[in-house]
Amino acid sequence: MGLPAASSIPGWGESAGLWIKRRPMTAALYIASVVGAVALYMMMPRRGYTPVRFGFLLGACSLGGLWLFLGRELPAITGLPDAAAGYYYLFGAIAIAAAARVITQSKPVYSALWFVMVVLAVAGLFLTLEAEFMAFAMVIIYGGAILVTYVFVIMLAADSGDASDEDTPEYDRLPREPVAAIAVGFLMLSLLLSVFAMHSEDGSTFPQNYQAQSESDAFVITNELTQRPVTELEAKIKARNPDAVMPADLAKKDKLDNIEKVGLDLFKSHPLGLELAGVILLVAIIGAVVIAKKRVEDDALIQEEG
Amino acid sequence: MDSMMLTHYLIIGAILFCMGLIGFITRRNLIIMFLCTEMMFQGVSLSLVAFSRYHGNVTGQTFVIFVLTIAAAEAALALGLVVLLFRRKRTLDANAWSSLKG
Repeated sequence: MGLPAASSIPGWGESAGLWIKRRPMTAALYIASVVGAVALYMMMPRRGYTPVRFGFLLGACSLGGLWLFLGRELPAITGLPDAAAGYYYLFGAIAIAAAARVITQSKPVYSALWFVMVVLAVAGLFLTLEAEFMAFAMVIIYGGAILVTYVFVIMLAADSGDASDEDTPEYDRLPREPVAAIAVGFLMLSLLLSVFAMHSEDGSTFPQNYQAQSESDAFVITNELTQRPVTELEAKIKARNPDAVMPADLAKKDKLDNIEKVGLDLFKSHPLGLELAGVILLVAIIGAVVIAKKRVEDDALIQEEG
Repeated sequence: MDSMMLTHYLIIGAILFCMGLIGFITRRNLIIMFLCTEMMFQGVSLSLVAFSRYHGNVTGQTFVIFVLTIAAAEAALALGLVVLLFRRKRTLDANAWSSLKG
């Protein structure tokens, strides 16, 4: 199923026009991919003049055209205002534009800062998907912790000596194999997108395995949690702070918040995964300490001595 | 959320993933290469959360928590290694380590 059906590839006898008429969405995705690839190539740093703005504009046009084409049946476009759909376009545009800057920016610190922008935009997309907990976890862990580590290392590993020099080193200014990389990347992108298009054009939707869990989960939790005896600790906490939400209170709610759902799923269905994640973090901490403690000889020094 | 809206989110996820892939191949700075893998994680996470919303099942979001955990562990280890490599060669250029090809 991973590849477009054989019938979607234009045969020798079939004209391309007929194919486009039959599969308009696939054609639009392919065209947008090609235009996007050209746009990204323009933005790639190179010797001499880099038409970043023009590439940016071209990329925005291809994405905008694609969205206008794909979204023509969505309520946001056809009149009925749907707030989530509107924010989807805003955050999606920010995410993709910032991602393009991450990979085309020649200064590493700016790349890291643009990546913060990607994280914030993806967090916004999570909010439109009603995944509030994931949105805030994303901002705190990625924007707060991981990116700070990255910026630290970028500062730490900066070429000392010519810190005042405006010029970035050559390995930051010139990309490696930009044409081949963009061709491969966008080939993969258009293949992925054609799978999505195939679903729509064949009139099939993505199979929905879990029908409306939001209605059934309240039932399951009520069943499980009301039968469970209130522990001593829970009773103590409840006596001290009547506002505290205990499992028995959770069972009374008919609609659970996102964070309550995620917490229940994490601790009820995946306790082993949680333990393993803790072990992995511990191993990573020990590994990081061992790596950082190791004394490394400078290659140049070794050669001088030898 | 209907299938069409899900497709929209998957498209952004796929674009972020492929941009990260392109960045990983084209960038020669070791730190930015790792940053691009984090961008690929973002695309995958977005797809997972979109599917989670589509199915009305939060397991997708739980999985993103694990992805975040692994990403944090990977960033700590990989950046420690990058600092180690930098101290050795005094450069972040990935090509400087092409001798590892054997």
